[in-house]
Amino acid sequence: MKRKAVLMFSILFAIMMALSGCSSSSSSSSGSAKNEILYWNPFTGPDGENMKQIVNEYNKTNPKFKIKNVSMVADDMYKKIPTVVNSGKGIPDLTIVHAERIKQFVGNDLLTTYDDKLADYPEIKAENYVPAGWDIGEINGSRYSVPLDVHSFVMYYNKDLLEKYAPNALDDNVITFDEIKEAGEMSKKDKITGVGITWTRPIFLSIYNQLGGDITSDGETPTLNTPEAKEALELLKGLIDNKIANKDGEDPGQLFKSGKAIFYPEGIWMQNSLKDSKKLNWGLTNFPQISPDKIVNWTSSHQFVMFKDENRSKEKTKGITDFLDFVRENSLPWAKAGQNPASLVTLENPEYQDLPQSFLVKDPELQKSLKIFDYKYNGFVAEEIDKLVGDAIYGKLDITKGLKAAQKAVEDKIASNNKK
Amino acid sequence: MGKKRVTKFVSLIFLLFMAIIWIVPLLYTVTSSFKSEDDIQSSAFTILPIHWVIGNYQDVLFENTSAPVAKWFMNSLIISVSQTVLVLAIVSLAGFGYSRMKFKGRNAIFLFLMATMMFPAVVNLIPLYKIIDSLGWVNNYLAAIVPGTAGVFNIFLVRQFMQGIPKDFDESARVDGASDFQIFSKLILPLIRPVLTVVALFTFTASWNDFLWPSIVFNDVEKMPITPGLQLLQGMYALDVAHALTGALVAIVPTFILYLFTQKYFMESLSLSSGVKG
Amino acid sequence: MINTGVNKELNMSAVIEKNSGKKRFNLSPYLYIGPHLILFAIFFLFPTLYGIYISFTNWDLIGDPEFVGLANYKEILFNHESTFYDQLHNGLGNTFKFVLFTVPACIIVPLLLAAGLNTRPKGLKFFQALFYMPTLFSVSAVMIVFSMLFSVSFGPINHFLNVETNWLSTQPYAWITLVVVTIWWSIGANMIIYQAALNGISRDLYEAASIDGASSIQKFFRITLPSIRAQILYTVVITTIAQFNVYGQPLMLTKGGPTSSTSVLLMYIQQNAFGSGISIAGIGSAMAVILGLCIMVVSAIQFFFLRQRD
Repeated sequence: MKRKAVLMFSILFAIMMALSGCSSSSSSSSGSAKNEILYWNPFTGPDGENMKQIVNEYNKTNPKFKIKNVSMVADDMYKKIPTVVNSGKGIPDLTIVHAERIKQFVGNDLLTTYDDKLADYPEIKAENYVPAGWDIGEINGSRYSVPLDVHSFVMYYNKDLLEKYAPNALDDNVITFDEIKEAGEMSKKDKITGVGITWTRPIFLSIYNQLGGDITSDGETPTLNTPEAKEALELLKGLIDNKIANKDGEDPGQLFKSGKAIFYPEGIWMQNSLKDSKKLNWGLTNFPQISPDKIVNWTSSHQFVMFKDENRSKEKTKGITDFLDFVRENSLPWAKAGQNPASLVTLENPEYQDLPQSFLVKDPELQKSLKIFDYKYNGFVAEEIDKLVGDAIYGKLDITKGLKAAQKAVEDKIASNNKK
Repeated sequence: MGKKRVTKFVSLIFLLFMAIIWIVPLLYTVTSSFKSEDDIQSSAFTILPIHWVIGNYQDVLFENTSAPVAKWFMNSLIISVSQTVLVLAIVSLAGFGYSRMKFKGRNAIFLFLMATMMFPAVVNLIPLYKIIDSLGWVNNYLAAIVPGTAGVFNIFLVRQFMQGIPKDFDESARVDGASDFQIFSKLILPLIRPVLTVVALFTFTASWNDFLWPSIVFNDVEKMPITPGLQLLQGMYALDVAHALTGALVAIVPTFILYLFTQKYFMESLSLSSGVKG
Repeated sequence: MINTGVNKELNMSAVIEKNSGKKRFNLSPYLYIGPHLILFAIFFLFPTLYGIYISFTNWDLIGDPEFVGLANYKEILFNHESTFYDQLHNGLGNTFKFVLFTVPACIIVPLLLAAGLNTRPKGLKFFQALFYMPTLFSVSAVMIVFSMLFSVSFGPINHFLNVETNWLSTQPYAWITLVVVTIWWSIGANMIIYQAALNGISRDLYEAASIDGASSIQKFFRITLPSIRAQILYTVVITTIAQFNVYGQPLMLTKGGPTSSTSVLLMYIQQNAFGSGISIAGIGSAMAVILGLCIMVVSAIQFFFLRQRD
């Protein structure tokens, strides 16, 4: 009577075994193959296509180690890293991570240094990169990363509306908040928004830094609850209260694209989404400043790192550096994705010089305005700022209380991390 | 039979009212897929597109050389069909076990299974990946197929339906000399066909829509199922509404066809049911 | 019925049972539940136990987890000063609110729809497909659509109501939006379970009740509901578990705002374990265990009140 049940059970079991049998034979290819460099990056969509172009061109040069490009959604990639590091298998040979994450990976001893690996490629050196991008990879005297780009949060403006409401604002190449206020006061009668409140984190941090604040005083202690932070939030709240900025819940991107906003602070990487709007006549300039004397543009950077893997041969590591050197000289496709390549070689290319975002790199003075908020606990700060700023400037949260709570939250998270 | 007609009329009015609410977002999704992103972003809201375009579909289906959408579809089909077949076999056996067999600790085991399912799976990702890795399943379809068959909720559902079938049925069959397995296969299985259809539909849809787990266990773009694959088409920064919604519509075509195909099965009246309840 | 295939096992177990003086050990049930139990143990039980173990450690997902006893639980349950204490209380409170707001509707609405469809109206298949279709979409697609529909300046809802309501970032509208989206998106599954259940009810019962002069409403409460009790228990328990695990809707639609009033516990758990900062997986796991225990208690209560009395 039980024969059929047993039969069914064993069939099921056999299927599973058969499936797993045929799988284990092919599983050896799951990690990186012998002469292949497994390259993870968070570049999806059109940006990913540009990266793929660079990889394909490199592979066409018939290198000893070909690059296997694996693009993932950034969130998934950052979840996948601890899983593979934990299992010790399938670790990528080369990975693009955001600059702000490097210190925490180094803190966990996950990265291999480039120190002794750059000897054959002397051109991978500080002089050939934008300082902001290069410096971030140097920790405790060792080099842990090589930059791909420096991407900054700047400001787009509607040329026609600027002509109408603030014709002289750009005379000194800097638009100040006072100029925005003036323009916004005039434009609001025509139901034109002065400035869009877009991504609050870089907006707040840029202003905070212009006022002399930073997210840490000594690399260890977070500094969020400061008079400068309060001032920055109050400045933004003022723009909203005076109806210079868009109302709560309005989509600033839609306002700008439909010609109903003059100024639109956003990242240089957003250009591609504006290119579709054919009616729109836009320009790109620095993030708005409090005074033209100290210019700050919030910046981040995509960096090449190597996660530790005992099985990676010396030769393969050399193959990796070879690819990095190729990227250094062939970053133009990446610039066309709307980014600023960190390598200064690109700067000599006239095609790059015509791209709107290149103004940040062309001028050595403006290179100094690129500010990467580098801090071991950057992630904690970012989480709390994201929670705080929108509510505080739209009047849903008392600024003083909000700053106090944010400071406390970051401190608590750091404390729980240090409880070891 | 006037009363019956009134009931029918009232329910029709109710259904119509709900249908209006339900259809607006769907309609918006469909018409947005025929709008250009520029129109969506820069014009005031319109239900119908100002300019009809089919470019979004072309982009999603053909344009991306590095995005093998057809391959993704096949991968998804392999994964979702295998998982559904496995789940149906496992779930109907186990459902029968928990509702019809008598053994020590039956309810205790079942409650233990349910209780385990209550813990949100958060850091579980990492041990699960280790298991998959030690089985050699990374980058293999099995990694996406097998873990999903271990769930308990479908067993619970099947068990609930089986309990609606009176035990007298089994007893009389047993008196006639039927074995457990004969009762299971000849008597119970045909009776629970509607709920098995529901289980198949749920399993297939859940497997089709899963995105985090497949993107953890597959390294190869070629091996990806469609849902995490389509995510790779979205840019890193700006949300492209037109393409995102077009992709969403393309992705639900198989699950919707499956629904249309199966609806007559879970709607079928049980032939034996007239004698069952009472 | 002698089975040669499993003779060995049966003989062995027979020996054991003879010794213990009990009835013959019956292997048969385990052949039915066995395949699932094995899969469950490997792919579910073990990872879950590991997750619970992590809640007693200070793991950061990378190094070796170090046992810290009940420190994480003390921190989130009793340390009133702690940010994590606030997170747990706020997150759990909002999660309970969400469950309270959505679960009744996610039971009643599909039940009414299924009952309506059971009268076999004209356009049955159209209605059925329409109400089920949203369930097929991924959460991100649904949230994109609704954020467009509820948009302040461009959305049709404000346009037709002729208001300027900020649906996503002021209360009580943020809750209303979340509840509406959730109902729209998720009732399909329960609806077809009820449909399958309603089809199992004998028409004779209704005929008999009609002869006794029962109204439609009386028939619904006296025949329909009791007949699908088992399925109602299932949907209530499963829907409650699903809504306790709410994550995508507030994350993508309201971003937990305004002022964290829609930040549900799973958002805090995810942020602690997989946030942009260094992982605090120990605390995140402890919160997940607390959430699991809450779900267990609520489900136990539901089982108690809705269980079938054999």
